[in-house]
Amino acid sequence: MRETMQTPPAAALACRELCVAYGARTVLDDFTLEIPAGQWTAVVGPNGCGKSTLLRALAGLKAPRGGAVFLHGRRLGAWPRRERARRLGWLAQSPTTTDLTAAEVVALGRFAHSGWLAHRDVDDDAAIERAMSATGSLRWADRRVSTLSGGERQRVHLARVLAVEATVLLLDEPTTHLDPPHQEDVARLLRAQAHGCGVAVLSAIHDLSLALTADRLIVLGPDGVVGHGAVEEALERDWLSQAFQTRIDVVTHEGVHLWRPALDGRAGP
Amino acid sequence: MIGKCGARRRTGYAALCVALGALALAHAAAAGAVSVPRDPRRVITLLPSLTEIVCALGACDRLVATGRFDDWPVQVKDLPKLGGLDDVGIERIVRLRPDLVLLSTSQRVGGRLAELGIASFALETDRYSDIARSVTAVGRLLGLAQRAAALNARIASDVGRVSEESIAARHGAGASVYFEVDPGPYAAGPQSYIGELLDKLGVRNIVAPAMGPFPLLNPEYVVRENPDVIFISRGDAAQLAGRPGWDRIRAVREKRICTFPGVVRDTIVRPGPRVAEGMRAMADCLRRVAP
Amino acid sequence: MSASRRALAIWFATCIAATLALTFGSLLVGTSSLHTSLHWLFSPDAQSAVVLWDIRLPRTVGAWCAGALLGLAGAVAQGVFRNPLAEPYLLGTASGAALGVTMSLLATDASVGALAWAGRLGMTGAACVGAFAAIALTIMLARGVLQTASLLLSGIVVGFLLTAVNSLLLLARPEMWRTMQVFLLGSTAYLGWPATALLGAALAVCVIPSTLLSRGLDALTLGEDTAQSLGLSLPALRLSLIGILSVATAAAVGQVGVVGFVGLVAPHLVRETVKVNHRQLLIAAPLCGGALLQAADLASRWIIHPAELPVGAVTACVGGAYLAFLLYRRTRDA
Repeated sequence: MRETMQTPPAAALACRELCVAYGARTVLDDFTLEIPAGQWTAVVGPNGCGKSTLLRALAGLKAPRGGAVFLHGRRLGAWPRRERARRLGWLAQSPTTTDLTAAEVVALGRFAHSGWLAHRDVDDDAAIERAMSATGSLRWADRRVSTLSGGERQRVHLARVLAVEATVLLLDEPTTHLDPPHQEDVARLLRAQAHGCGVAVLSAIHDLSLALTADRLIVLGPDGVVGHGAVEEALERDWLSQAFQTRIDVVTHEGVHLWRPALDGRAGP
Repeated sequence: MIGKCGARRRTGYAALCVALGALALAHAAAAGAVSVPRDPRRVITLLPSLTEIVCALGACDRLVATGRFDDWPVQVKDLPKLGGLDDVGIERIVRLRPDLVLLSTSQRVGGRLAELGIASFALETDRYSDIARSVTAVGRLLGLAQRAAALNARIASDVGRVSEESIAARHGAGASVYFEVDPGPYAAGPQSYIGELLDKLGVRNIVAPAMGPFPLLNPEYVVRENPDVIFISRGDAAQLAGRPGWDRIRAVREKRICTFPGVVRDTIVRPGPRVAEGMRAMADCLRRVAP
Repeated sequence: MSASRRALAIWFATCIAATLALTFGSLLVGTSSLHTSLHWLFSPDAQSAVVLWDIRLPRTVGAWCAGALLGLAGAVAQGVFRNPLAEPYLLGTASGAALGVTMSLLATDASVGALAWAGRLGMTGAACVGAFAAIALTIMLARGVLQTASLLLSGIVVGFLLTAVNSLLLLARPEMWRTMQVFLLGSTAYLGWPATALLGAALAVCVIPSTLLSRGLDALTLGEDTAQSLGLSLPALRLSLIGILSVATAAAVGQVGVVGFVGLVAPHLVRETVKVNHRQLLIAAPLCGGALLQAADLASRWIIHPAELPVGAVTACVGGAYLAFLLYRRTRDA
């Protein structure tokens, strides 16, 4: 690991020369990136190119082979565990099902704040209620998660992440199982978190149209990172086509970017 | 074309199976009993009590090997040891070329020996009555029928004497006895060999006949029966008082406990020609400690 | 009160009522009429008093404590390994305890020093030490407590290994087979007040920390990544839970031998009838396990009175029947 003598990055979440590998297979190599606060960054790319890996590495759930991750300017490893959990929220790709009630699951989001004995004070209760009403899951607070549908369950887990009231949110496919109206809700929610609350939001999204509503894009391809930057830059430099190795047509309609597959038979690059 | 090849192959397999099956059946049928030679000179015994019987008949010199736990009389300790109840070394038996192998009915090796052409004879050795029967049978097999009859007579008279003396010493009223075979607690009931010996000694077994030879008792039962004397192994005797409620039992309170060293215990638990010795040991202890 | 809270309250009440009924039953069964029973209970003669207060009461209370320990251990095992088929003995404890018993029986014929140790520990202490040793071996073989699959596999390996060693030692001394059989089938026969006090103390030592850690178990149900991101230290949590599992199982196995199915069935039974979070489960499962083992103890004493069935055989029959019923219901609903 090359020790850099530079000052630590000031962004909410950043990585320097990150190298992540699974056994012999290197997924990310020498990757430097900054995720700024107050912006929603979306990670896109074909299946198996490392979206989840990148998120897990940034969340500290996968130890990198090289490089370091910085949270608010401090190395991840230097943060005390509970404080780090208070700043960093994580939503897994396919949360497991459980016998707990929805309220209990969301209350677990306050674990870093309230601790083992679960003494819930006013702040905790308020945060839980805010999170649940923001995701529209308040009405099934007392129902067991195992009895909810896939979409309802996803919203409960989303509420849990919001209840953490973190300054950095890492979400792996937050729109799984959700129908389009609710997908739109999630997008609106993430934008509100970023622009309204100043949270640094990073999400892996496989739906390109939804991803294109974000502020910034990280585009991953089969050979590693294709590029990262503002959405406009990504479209100008046609990173999406490089990543997906096929023509991706992006149409801008009333200020909204929409993608459509290139069906005119032209071969990819 | 392919169908016909498959059919031919199927017929071939079927024929092979039938042939193998017939072979197996023939082999099994051929393995019947092997007849015992008239005067066996090379004898193997696989059970301690059978070894004792052979030696009590004066034919100890005919023994070429014994089971693992056979240790009386002293000279058999030097003989090659062939294994315990279930793990007898068949190869070694075959190599020793015995004329006769004596074993218990509960050992499975007899059938295997018959297949290998070795004469064997299985004897039941569980109850008191089995002793006389086994002595007679072994005497007949070894050509020592007269000695066997004399041995049986001696055993019967010795046992009778010990029994009479013991009953007389009790002056009619038998003490109540609890014989523990294993912690569990497993007791020796009247249907077991040990139970029969206790009966001959004129004592009352706290275990009822209906409970079988070696029942696993509820410890509370022993406390309620309050036996006068307890027979137990040395190691377990030490923690008798530690069992809940057992310190109230008369035998424990008044220290009326009979334990025996291993050699003596063998004479009690093995149904063999030394039965009178075992009974005498028990009678002596009873005379010492019974109320 | 919501439906699930009401169901839980009913569940607790049932367990407590069953425990009380079984305790009274244990004390009084065998008397011919109610009048005799009451007379026996309130003004017994000297021998009856011994039978009641020195034999029957500690035995039934001890059986309850052992069952509670096994129920708790089963609930913790199912939570840590996130597998509803996990049970207390999956880290090799049963084989380790059996080996401990064998070695303590052998020690009586080995050197004087070994005999002194065996005497001080007693068979129950030796079983306890054996159980702990097996768990330590399992964790060493799995190189830590973090990988579930390694731990489970390692537990199986250690179980087989120690059983093989045990069998070899028993070959040398076949007269110990019967004692070993009694141990392997479980026996509540000799539970007196000292043993019961030990079991009760172990129960207290295990229940309190496990209810404190219950929120961690809840978080584990969300997945290990999520649990870690919430601020849980996975190694510390798993180590503590496996420590509690070890103490509970070793204490129970030491005193009553290897009693199967109670640790598996008690948490199952709770979860099938009422949905709970882990803090409630870690109280309900011991209550259920205690009542189960008490009932098995009562049955083992009275089915073939005055002889006794090994209590492990009774729990195996009942537990096996319950699992068969679950299977039938599952295939019928599928």
